[in-house]
Amino acid sequence: MKLHMLGCSHHNSDVETRERLAFNPEQTKQALAQFKARFPQTEAVLLSTCNRVEIYLATDVPDFAPSHHDVVQFLADFHGLVPEQVFNELFEHTGEDFVRHLFTVAASLDSMVIGEAQILTQVKQAYELATTEASTGPLTNAAFQAALRVAKRVTNETAIHQKRVSIPSVAVAEYAREFFEHFDDKRVVVLGAGEMGEETLRYLQDEGVRDIVVINRNLERGEALAERMGGRAAPWSSLHEELVAADLVVSATGAKEPIVTAADFKQIVAKRYQRTILILDLAIPRDFEAAIAELTGVYLYTIDDLSAACERNKEERKQEWPKAERLIEEETIRFMTDLNHRATAPTIRRLKARADEVKNDELMRLWNKLNTADERTRVEVTKAFERLVNKLLHPPLESLRDEASRGTPHGLLEALKRLFNLRE
Amino acid sequence: MLESIKITCFALAYLITLVLEGSRLFFRVPVRMALIVGMAWAGLITHTLYLTHRGMTVAEGSLPLSSWYDWYLVAAWIIAAAYVLLLTSRPETSVGMFLLPLTLLLIGTAYPLRDTGSFQREQAIFSWEAAHGIALLLGTVTVTLGFAAGVMYLIQSYRLKRHLSPRQGLRLPSLEWLQRMNQQMLFHSTFLIALGLLAGIVLNAVKRSSLESAVPWNDSVVISSSLLLIWLISSSTFELFYKPAQQGRKVAYMTVASFGFLMLVLAILSLSDSPHAKSQGGASADPPAVITPVEEPAA
Repeated sequence: MKLHMLGCSHHNSDVETRERLAFNPEQTKQALAQFKARFPQTEAVLLSTCNRVEIYLATDVPDFAPSHHDVVQFLADFHGLVPEQVFNELFEHTGEDFVRHLFTVAASLDSMVIGEAQILTQVKQAYELATTEASTGPLTNAAFQAALRVAKRVTNETAIHQKRVSIPSVAVAEYAREFFEHFDDKRVVVLGAGEMGEETLRYLQDEGVRDIVVINRNLERGEALAERMGGRAAPWSSLHEELVAADLVVSATGAKEPIVTAADFKQIVAKRYQRTILILDLAIPRDFEAAIAELTGVYLYTIDDLSAACERNKEERKQEWPKAERLIEEETIRFMTDLNHRATAPTIRRLKARADEVKNDELMRLWNKLNTADERTRVEVTKAFERLVNKLLHPPLESLRDEASRGTPHGLLEALKRLFNLRE
Repeated sequence: MLESIKITCFALAYLITLVLEGSRLFFRVPVRMALIVGMAWAGLITHTLYLTHRGMTVAEGSLPLSSWYDWYLVAAWIIAAAYVLLLTSRPETSVGMFLLPLTLLLIGTAYPLRDTGSFQREQAIFSWEAAHGIALLLGTVTVTLGFAAGVMYLIQSYRLKRHLSPRQGLRLPSLEWLQRMNQQMLFHSTFLIALGLLAGIVLNAVKRSSLESAVPWNDSVVISSSLLLIWLISSSTFELFYKPAQQGRKVAYMTVASFGFLMLVLAILSLSDSPHAKSQGGASADPPAVITPVEEPAA
């Protein structure tokens, strides 16, 4: 049995290398098919994300397993590269380290942003794709199913995933909720039609926001975003009127100068009768003049305020790290113990079969000699033979189990095969 | 002039208001809301004057506002007052369709009992003391809750304004929830303290009419409680009609100040030698009584 992974990640290789080795879903299918054709006795799962490209291999027949060089050659061939170009960029893990690494990746402890939830979905998708392509087997099934379970344990038993670390998620989950009890009756005005505004809107929609107004200098782009988010677009000229009616403003335009000055906003505050307004100014440079924050009922947050919260959350996630690491270690040991027990199973099965064979031969010979023995005697003698066999096999099997808990007992298995003449 | 106000005056005003409220379901009329507000206030004012008059003019052997007839009318007045308040704060809703029939039902129930005699003196005093005490107790609780919500609002607002992490250290409810809590506590406390004081006025009138020692009107507790009520009514009115006061910190400041007034009243009650505390002490010693009219209503 051999577990072997090889790949590159944001830890050891730059983005260009990762891009050269990356697989899209279609390429993943092709690569798995080609790998299977080249190494039919090896199970394979290919995980390719923007931060890592990793191939997980496992086989029950180590003699037929591809070497490190073989895998590098395969990856280079697939992408039309020279193996030397990527050889030094790839790291590998085998045996217990393979399992530990897989669990760490799935639990998002190896991610660029520790605790981000996306990696678990990506691991799951990679495993499902490999299963669909008939590229998995008992070993990869066991390893990946355990990895998904371990990732859930880390999520549930540590706070590593609870702290938000992206600007939009922190803005909504940590700040907007401190202002509003309900979002379904709030008007959200989005200034700009960029990615930051859209992502923040998605988080707000998850909270129940329904009344969305998008204002963009380019009305067409504003309309496109409004349509995607189920809101309405308003012309740039209506900016002040929309701010009067808004409860929450998300601003992320590319303007070089503030688009709303303190003097403008004073008039807006008067028209709002000082009603509370939360402004998330996510633009660089800022869209709202800093002095606006001093006005009554106005709560203005800039990207710097939110970044500080993100950094703090990242630190808090890191503090959960030792707990998560202990959990990974515990699960790795458990998995390896189960796997090693599984490795001894064929030998144990053959040993028991061999003992049964000898027992049955001897009983047959005995009944031929004692053909007058009654049924009760036959039953008692048979039981005595069984007890004898079990007692003889018990010490070697116990030793085998003890050894298996510390790793695959190759020496002991070999000794048993030779001592008892066990055939493959 | 007050004796010319009859039960039919305010009953009719409420009935017209109810009809106008009902017509909102069928057609739109531009001046209807003004008519509804006008008739509702007319009903409430005449109702108040009628009860005031009954409280002030007591026949020999009777007690002020201490018969089944009076009690039904007082209950109707409370519901009508609640309706007028709701009409002012939420004019777009049709709460009158539900509250006005109840008001008219109570007035209708009271009418056949108009010649009923008043309760016995001890029973009347006990009942008004209970109403006075319970309303003031609940008023005190709501003023205190409003104070807590106000302080929480001010802390939360301070932290959010200065971008301090709301997730670290003290965790507080959202600003929106705290603001709503503040507003509700302000209105509820105004209503309850007003009821408590009105019950106290009637109680004093009952005691005076039966020649029992009553609390003087210039008693320090009475004056400070009246000041608290005036403050609460002013705050609630300000809250209702001045839009900027409906938002944010102003409501919180008002509920915090209300608590200050309440503390003043409680301090005077505890520390001064006001006869008010003594009379309350005496009341608690009275045995509870079952309310029974002096005379049975005419069949």
